[in-house]
Amino acid sequence: MITLLHLIIEFFKTGLFSIGGGYATIPFLYQISHQYGWYSIKELSDIIAISMITPGPVGVNMATFAGFKTFGIFGGIVATISLALPAFIFVILISKILKKYSENFWIKSILYALKPTGCGLLLAVGAKMFFDNVKTMPAICLFLFLFLVSFKFKKNPLYYFLFASIIGIILQICNVKLM
Amino acid sequence: MRISLKNLYFEFFMIGLQLLGGGYVIVPLMKKNLIEKKNWITESELTDFYALSQTIPGVIAINISAFTGYKLRGKSGALTAIIGTITTPIIFILLIATVMEYLLKISFTQSIFWGVSIAVIILIYLSIKEMWQNSLVDIPSWIIFILTFALSFFVKLSPVCIIIISITLGILICLAKARLSK
Repeated sequence: MITLLHLIIEFFKTGLFSIGGGYATIPFLYQISHQYGWYSIKELSDIIAISMITPGPVGVNMATFAGFKTFGIFGGIVATISLALPAFIFVILISKILKKYSENFWIKSILYALKPTGCGLLLAVGAKMFFDNVKTMPAICLFLFLFLVSFKFKKNPLYYFLFASIIGIILQICNVKLM
Repeated sequence: MRISLKNLYFEFFMIGLQLLGGGYVIVPLMKKNLIEKKNWITESELTDFYALSQTIPGVIAINISAFTGYKLRGKSGALTAIIGTITTPIIFILLIATVMEYLLKISFTQSIFWGVSIAVIILIYLSIKEMWQNSLVDIPSWIIFILTFALSFFVKLSPVCIIIISITLGILICLAKARLSK
């Protein structure tokens, strides 16, 4: 019961504090993994990848996954709804005052600060994942290669995953130690 | 013309079904399904909803669904649109989570996820680069950015604490700016 309550609170918090879309939920998901261990950091990175090839934003996918791991199907649904709840409340609150909302001085100042904060938090997670995962020679080579390629081709993340997966399989067939 | 909640659910269910690869994809999907096919909202409304969705808490895809649902059918419309959008993602992840344990026992899956875990870091980096352009606009925002990174990476403060600190800083900076420009 306590865990269920924590699950609801943590994903509500994630929904409430992650502003600006994209990967803004990831720093919170990282923190949850660290604090509660409902899923490992490795699973988080797996789900980020899976969420690219399945429908839905990564935050939603991760909430479902974490909920499922703690309380089965019921948990998955509860955690996802907790994540969506702050958005529902906010939309109802501000829909009546739309114009005033976006021109309000306080809202503007908050957003001014939150945007670079979102960047900084995500960079910290990226850096942590880098130091955790990119340790062996093959990992460093693959990382450098993808990094260089990213300057030329920005688009579809799917290609990155496909390429990285194929390299993983080839290296395994060649008996290269990966981890 | 009053749109029934059933129709509303169905349209957002279809959008959720096609929602591949991150939140931004929802904008072209909504344009195709809700503007061109159904004529439920206008293009400028969609643009407004998208801009607003980035400024309120939560996942963009959910926010934009809620705004549209609210415009069409009030509170129950917002709820219906949200549930419609997240139906398919929930079902997909529940299915995948069920088979994941078995999948991970296959050694090939482990190599795949080894590669993928490295690709994920690159994608996070690309996402930062994208956010970078409209968030790091002047020196104070750079300071907030660096401070946030340091507090998270070195001090290991929780994201919620960091956000509260940065909101306080942001308000102080904007107050100072407003005073200076007077």
